[in-house]
This record gives sequence, C-alpha cells and structure tokens, in this order.
Amino acid sequence: MIYSPFPMRVVSKRQEAPGVNTLKLEFVKQEDHEFFKANYRTGMFGLYGVFGEGESTFCVASPETRKDYIECTFRQSGRVTSTLANTDAGDIVTFRGPYGNRFPIEQFEGKNLLFIAGGIALPPTRSVIWSCLDQREKYKNVTIVYGARTVADLVYKNELDDWKQRDDVRLVLTVDPGGETPDWQDHVGFVPTVLEQAAPSPENTIAVLCGPPIMIKFTLAALERLGFTAENVYTTLENRMKCGVGKCGRCNVGSVYICKEGPVFTAAEVQAMPQADL
Amino acid sequence: MTRILLRNKLDDCIAAWQKAGFSVLAPVKRHEMSSFGEVQKSGDMALDLILTERTIKDQFFPQTEPLIKYKIGKQQIDSETMTPPEKKRVFFGVRPCDASGLAIDDPLFGWDYKDDYWFRRRDNSVIVTIACAQADDFCMCTSVKLSPDSAKGADVLLRPLLEGSGWQIEVFTERGKALLEIVSSLLLEGNGHTFPLPQVPEKFDLEKVMAWLGDKENFESQFWKDIALRCVGCGSCTFLCPTCHCFDIQDEGDTYQGIRRKNWDSCSFALFTMHTSGHNPRNTQSTRWRQRIMHKFNYYRGKFGVNSCSGCGRCTRQCPVDMGITETLQAITNLPR
Repeated sequence: MIYSPFPMRVVSKRQEAPGVNTLKLEFVKQEDHEFFKANYRTGMFGLYGVFGEGESTFCVASPETRKDYIECTFRQSGRVTSTLANTDAGDIVTFRGPYGNRFPIEQFEGKNLLFIAGGIALPPTRSVIWSCLDQREKYKNVTIVYGARTVADLVYKNELDDWKQRDDVRLVLTVDPGGETPDWQDHVGFVPTVLEQAAPSPENTIAVLCGPPIMIKFTLAALERLGFTAENVYTTLENRMKCGVGKCGRCNVGSVYICKEGPVFTAAEVQAMPQADL
Repeated sequence: MTRILLRNKLDDCIAAWQKAGFSVLAPVKRHEMSSFGEVQKSGDMALDLILTERTIKDQFFPQTEPLIKYKIGKQQIDSETMTPPEKKRVFFGVRPCDASGLAIDDPLFGWDYKDDYWFRRRDNSVIVTIACAQADDFCMCTSVKLSPDSAKGADVLLRPLLEGSGWQIEVFTERGKALLEIVSSLLLEGNGHTFPLPQVPEKFDLEKVMAWLGDKENFESQFWKDIALRCVGCGSCTFLCPTCHCFDIQDEGDTYQGIRRKNWDSCSFALFTMHTSGHNPRNTQSTRWRQRIMHKFNYYRGKFGVNSCSGCGRCTRQCPVDMGITETLQAITNLPR
C-alpha cells in the first residue's frame, strides 16, 4: 500500500559534526532491497521514520553505485531526527522511497565536474560525487568546493581527507571567517568568494550546487561571473514534505512539485520559478 | 423512452440495494452539521437541502485515515498496514458540485503513485446525483463552467419531477446501469415534466481570472496582500471544500502503541510549509491565500487539465469572516485591464 514504509536495520552510526549523524541502513526484506536497487538513482530522496515519532524527508546520501545499503546524514532538530540520532546498531527504523528525480549523470560523461556544497548540504552532493568517482574514467577534471561555518561543522571528514589525497580530485575546503582553528590550513572565507578565487573553468563543465538558500543565491552569481550558464548548473531543492508522491500539497514552488518534478533542477529551472515562493 | 423513479418506491430501492450488498448513504441532518451518512429508509434522507454543510469528500478522504498500526516492544516494533473497508456503497442525492469534486480529485490521487485509500472507496461506490431544484446566493457552479445539472462524476443523474413525485433517470456509466438493474422492477417507463433548473448567475469571469493568475507579473502583486487581510487562517474553507486534498501524516499514540494517520491539513496554516530550519516559504496569510487560489485555478489545471473548484460555494458560505474564493475571483474580474 502507498505510504507503507520499508523496515530498515541500523548497521552503524557515525557522528559527523555536532548534532549531525550518518546512519547506515540495510534492508530487512529482500524484496524491498530489490525494489530499491531497481529504482534508486543519485539525487533521489526518501522519508525516514520511526514509529511513534513520524517521518522526515532527506536525501539518500549514498551513491547509486553502492546500493547494498542506504546512508542518510541529518541534523538532529525535531522528534524524528532526535530519535533517529539515538538509535543503535540493530535498531529498526523505516524508509519510504526512493522518490523524486535524479541528477542525469550519464549526461555529465566526458565533462569536467564542479561540485559546490555548504554545510549540511554536502550529503546530497556526496551522493553524486561518489556516483561519479566510482566511475572515474567517464568524467574529466573533478573539483569539489566545500565550506562550512566552522571546522567542526564540516561533515564526512574522513572522506574529505580521501578526496584531498587523491590526485584525480581537486578539493577546495573553506570555513567561514572566525570558524577556523589554529591548525586550519585550508581557506577561510565564504563559499562564493573562495569559488571565484579557485576560478574553475566553465569550459565543458557541469556544476552541481547544494546549500542553504543564501549560499545558493550568491554562489549562482559567482558562477555566472565565472562564465557558467544556468543550464549547466544543477541543484537540489528541499521543502517540507509529508507524502513524497505529489499528493499532500505543500512542497510546491509555484506550480512545480519538488517531490515529483524535483528535487533536482537546473539553475535555469529554479530561476523560472516564482522566487517569492522559494 | 426514459425511466422514472418514484419517491414512494425509494424505500423499496434502498432495501433492494441493501439486499444486493450495498450500504446506502445520503444527505442527513444528524449532527451539528449536515453531511453524508448511512440511511435505512427514505425518511432518513435530507434530500431537500440545497447542499450538505460537509462535503461528500469526507466519505472518500476521511478527516483522519488510519494507515499503519504499530506496537513498540522492548525487542522489536510490530507494524500492520491498515486498509479501508471494501464495502460497496450507493451515494444517493449527491449534488452535481460534490460529484464533480470527486471527479476533479481522481487524477490527483491517481497520478504516478496511486492512493489506494481513495481508489478502494471510489471503485466500490456508485454516485447517484440529483440535479438542483434550488440554489442560494453562494452557489457558483456556473462560474466555473459547471451547472446545476452537471453529470460530472455521476454514474446516474436524477432530475426532480415538477410535482415532486420522483425523478427522471439518466444513466452515464456501466456501474450506474448495474445499480439500476437491481431495482429495474421498481422503475416506471415514461417522460415526466422536470423541475426547471435554478438560475445561478455567473459571479466572475473565469477566463479573465485564469489569464490574470497565469501572468507571472501578478504573483507578487499588492492585490494578494490586500485581499487576504481579513483571513484569520482558520482553514474552514479547505476542510469544507469538496476538492481540497492536502493532508499530513502523523503518528498518534502513546509510548507503546499507536496509529500512523493521514489527517486533513490546510494550506491556510503557517506550519503547513515550515521548514525545520525555521524558514517558511509561505510565511504570511497572504502568501497562503495566494497559494490556495493559484493551486485551484492555475497549478492544478496545468497538471490535470481542470480547475480544482466545482463551484459549491461552501468556502464563502461558511467563512467566519465572510471571505472566500468568490470574492477574490470577483475582485480579479473587476481589476482594470
């Protein structure tokens, strides 16, 4: 039945930053797993739940090249996320999805990739990053620009180290002014500024941009100055959702249902939406 | 040759349908508000109401719908999916606007992911519409290009006879045909004089309204701020609307057990779109009222080819501050070109 979730077993939990956790979940039932494997593509989202508390919507943070499990990364803030954050390995939670559209990564083949993320928006970006890095030969130069308010707020610190050490990835890390620690050796500054200094070429390049609305706004302007066209910039939008399947009536921006037509849009598509409804 | 159902055969019809396994539902005045409820005899029906205060929607998309029953144990959580009853139902005496409302919502509940809760009830229901013999000042079906004898959403349409003795029958679907088959021996053949349809003047210019709403320039118009000032955000208009379909999903229970429910929700409420971060895309009553109007007369049509309004007028009739869709669309109609 519609709205019936899959039971999921918590395999492990990792704290990423203060109040931010990643859960690794595996399917309890084989048939549910088969459904997920057949349908999941990078960029899609799901509703993660705990009976007695409810459901919350966030992206699938694991890539489409690794479908044995689901990873989700979330900030602890309400009833559902607090309960999820307090689970232990072996606990049962629920997942409904995968829903929504996806990043068309096969259209990105043969191109340079520029990933830009701010704070807790690295998880959706990370799904695309690994989906591409796991098929590294299909893509040209890969640049990742990631910033957070403070050093502590950077998520996936282990993976940041991995990317830093790879010679086929250029990682540009930054924290907001005042968020650095004495031993911080990377950039200090806001993402749009640091991005412009890094000056990736727009030539044959696709940009994937995720972050809070204010960061998106200024980063889009920076990308435009760097010569990127809005058709070559992809982003993922989030709105409050309850059903995930285009019926509960709240996630629309203008006439566009984020849950059905999104969450992945090009910057050109986002600009065509009524900005007052974002 | 058409057929006629006499009022004095209605009790026999109810009995015959019940014998064939149907529940019969009709307008009733049982609680504080008139609504659709199960009846045993024609005397239980309130067929002379212009319109029940609550809509027929309640019977297909209930105010609260149990989805999943769960039990939280020390070792494990048990859950069980709950399904709506599969009982066959006849809805007798539905007004054209209410029946249209069901037809308007079908594509929403059916697109891509099918909402079993809606369609299990729809598939087991037969809609017998009765054309209107009277209208009030709030009725506005003609304004949305429907009529007091619209057969939209109807399996059977009855037209009241002039002398009040019964109804002339029109059948539109196989389901309606099968329903009448059950009572065929109770029906008369013949043509009667049917009651003249009530005059329902058009209250706004739908074409102009749709054009104005479709103009992106108007999305941030001062118009929205002015027109919604009176709105108290109570949500009555959405709950009493035959096409409003927005809902929430909530777990209701105690520490050990409970039920996950699909509950009515409303775009009038600030919490409806509030993000966890505190950001709210529709953070004022005017943006929420704009959403309601735009959804009904622009977005919905873009997706499903039909406006999400059947012109019943309940939103205005029962608004505590005397606002409603009619006034807004009239105001748009009267804007200088």
